[in-house]
Amino acid sequence: MISQYIVNGLLTGGLYACLAVGFSLVWGVLNVVNMLHGSMVVLGAYFCLYGVQQLGLPLYAVAPVACLILFVFGYAIQRGLLNRVITQPILITLTLTFGLDLIVNNLIIHVFSATPQSLVTNFGTVEFAGVRVPVVRVGGMLVAVILTLVLYWLLRHSKIGRAIIAVRMDRHAAALMGIRIPHIYALTFGIGAFMAGAAGCAMALIYPVTPMMSGVFLGKAFVICVLGGLGSVPGAIIGGLVLGVVEGLGTLTLGQQWATSVGFIMMMAVIVLFPTGIMGKKGYE
Amino acid sequence: MRTTTSIIAALSFAALSAAPAIAQETIKLGAPLALTGPLADAGAKSKQGYDICVSAINDKGGVDVGGKKMKLELVEYDYQSETNRAVQIVQRLINVDKVPFLLSPYGSGDTKATAVVAERYGVPMVAAAAATKSVFDQKFQNLFGVLFPNDMITEAEVAYYKKHVPSVKRVAVLALNSLFPKAIAGEMVKSATGAGLDVVFNTTYSPDTSDFSNVLTQIKGLNPDWIYATGYTQDLILIRRQMADLGLDVKVLTMTAGPSYPEFKDNVKSLAENVTTNSWWHQNANYSDSYLFGSSLKYNEAFNAKFKRDATYLEAAATAACETLALAIEEAKSTSADAVRKVLHEKTFNTFYGPIQYGKLGQNEVNAALVMQIQNDKLLVLAPENLKQGELQIGVPKKK
Repeated sequence: MISQYIVNGLLTGGLYACLAVGFSLVWGVLNVVNMLHGSMVVLGAYFCLYGVQQLGLPLYAVAPVACLILFVFGYAIQRGLLNRVITQPILITLTLTFGLDLIVNNLIIHVFSATPQSLVTNFGTVEFAGVRVPVVRVGGMLVAVILTLVLYWLLRHSKIGRAIIAVRMDRHAAALMGIRIPHIYALTFGIGAFMAGAAGCAMALIYPVTPMMSGVFLGKAFVICVLGGLGSVPGAIIGGLVLGVVEGLGTLTLGQQWATSVGFIMMMAVIVLFPTGIMGKKGYE
Repeated sequence: MRTTTSIIAALSFAALSAAPAIAQETIKLGAPLALTGPLADAGAKSKQGYDICVSAINDKGGVDVGGKKMKLELVEYDYQSETNRAVQIVQRLINVDKVPFLLSPYGSGDTKATAVVAERYGVPMVAAAAATKSVFDQKFQNLFGVLFPNDMITEAEVAYYKKHVPSVKRVAVLALNSLFPKAIAGEMVKSATGAGLDVVFNTTYSPDTSDFSNVLTQIKGLNPDWIYATGYTQDLILIRRQMADLGLDVKVLTMTAGPSYPEFKDNVKSLAENVTTNSWWHQNANYSDSYLFGSSLKYNEAFNAKFKRDATYLEAAATAACETLALAIEEAKSTSADAVRKVLHEKTFNTFYGPIQYGKLGQNEVNAALVMQIQNDKLLVLAPENLKQGELQIGVPKKK
């Protein structure tokens, strides 16, 4: 039985990781707590739903397009709005993204309605040693983790990735090296939005999609980000998996009603005991 | 130039003078609606119910107030699914918009909170989506509820399944931690225990739960015969899917109230088969209504023509809430709150929704609980006997 709980937790945790990585990157590099992130995940999910159900396209064709649309959306938001206030205290950008979230979320309700919608799939389940694993969840988790690892690799080894890390480490020094800071900021926010779109497509395979999910997703991303460490891509994976497993064990020991509270309690403990998070570096907490 | 100015001034004065005269011809119904936020879907359904009532009454000339026809006007605001905002909006509706009557926000929790304001100002409020007894046991004189109490539903369900599936002994109850789901789950536990069933699991989940695999693993380990789950429709969809993922099989799966809505079937497809639910109303009950629509079936036809889908109990209750207000105004021959309130307490309204008798406490006392099941993609009535459309199918599909 305990193995089923751990598998349940890991499967959910993989999705959480994909959900949080974009949020973590934006917070870590731009010092922006992006309240719009949950709605961008939902937007990605609706784009996938629309492409598959209304246009009749296969998901593997729709998902990259949805992610690219989100990337352009994110880039434009940062370039056109957030860059104007990026040097202001964090509360200003938080308030701005909060306002944008209200607008985007209400537009989603207006366009797609609040009625739950799903990509109904039938990939079945596999069973080993008494543990049942739904294939769609494994697929969703794998795509999420692979994308997160690809992002990690790109940040480490591509020119743009190095520029993003350089900006994160020291904005002024990066500017002196000839890095176009506003462009890198917008690119980072765009990548965050791209990852939100990817998470949304994975979520659409598993969850009934409603605009109201954005708040839940934002809350999860927040906890994972603090657990894993701000701006850390591996931290998002570790944080996501830890949160998934801890929520599962919380259900087992304290009951379902406390499962989400356990995550927040853990977040508070990490803030007090390890302000940098599990994988974060000092100076970015 | 001076002439033109004078004409404009005269026209403006005439327009301003005419405005109150036009306003006096309508009866304003204040409606706080959850059009955004977590309850947006239910809020939109309530709005459809109110809208069809207002347009149907206005189409036949309006409400007859002592021989004078007055049209209804819905004054609505979005309270964003936030209870505090709903309370503020009710205050605004009473103090700024001066509405003489109110329709309540969605759900037992928000109704209970806003009913305090309505009571303070003495404005009658009819609730279309509140069934929890604790909302109505505050001895408020201005709160009226269309939905009959939860325990009438759970008693009918337990009696039905005990009779038709005698092998059902072990019950697991899972409810959203919110006023209505908790209340109906509590009544379910009482009804089941009272009938000698063994409640092997009874817990709540928080509103931001995004995964049910762990709690369902727990339930699976207890091997229940009957699972009773209640919460938001999107939660029930996820629960049903994750039950299949985990191979959780039961004789009876009851979900409140998601399967009553077409989107439940749309989102789980074949897994909807044999899922049972309950309802306060269904068009097949076919109650007659001499005031509006003609009957339950005709109401559903009108609703379908306007919104391109069948009405559920939620929209029907919203329409009935508005209709009983109109009937009470006609009976009172006045728009005075005191006169209308008296009629609402005393009269039995025969509507397409069924007989509605608010009584002393304000909550509809007429029990017309329906036990229902999805079979071959259709929602069928299993009980009561006189409305029966099919026999109970035992067990739910294990796989998608």
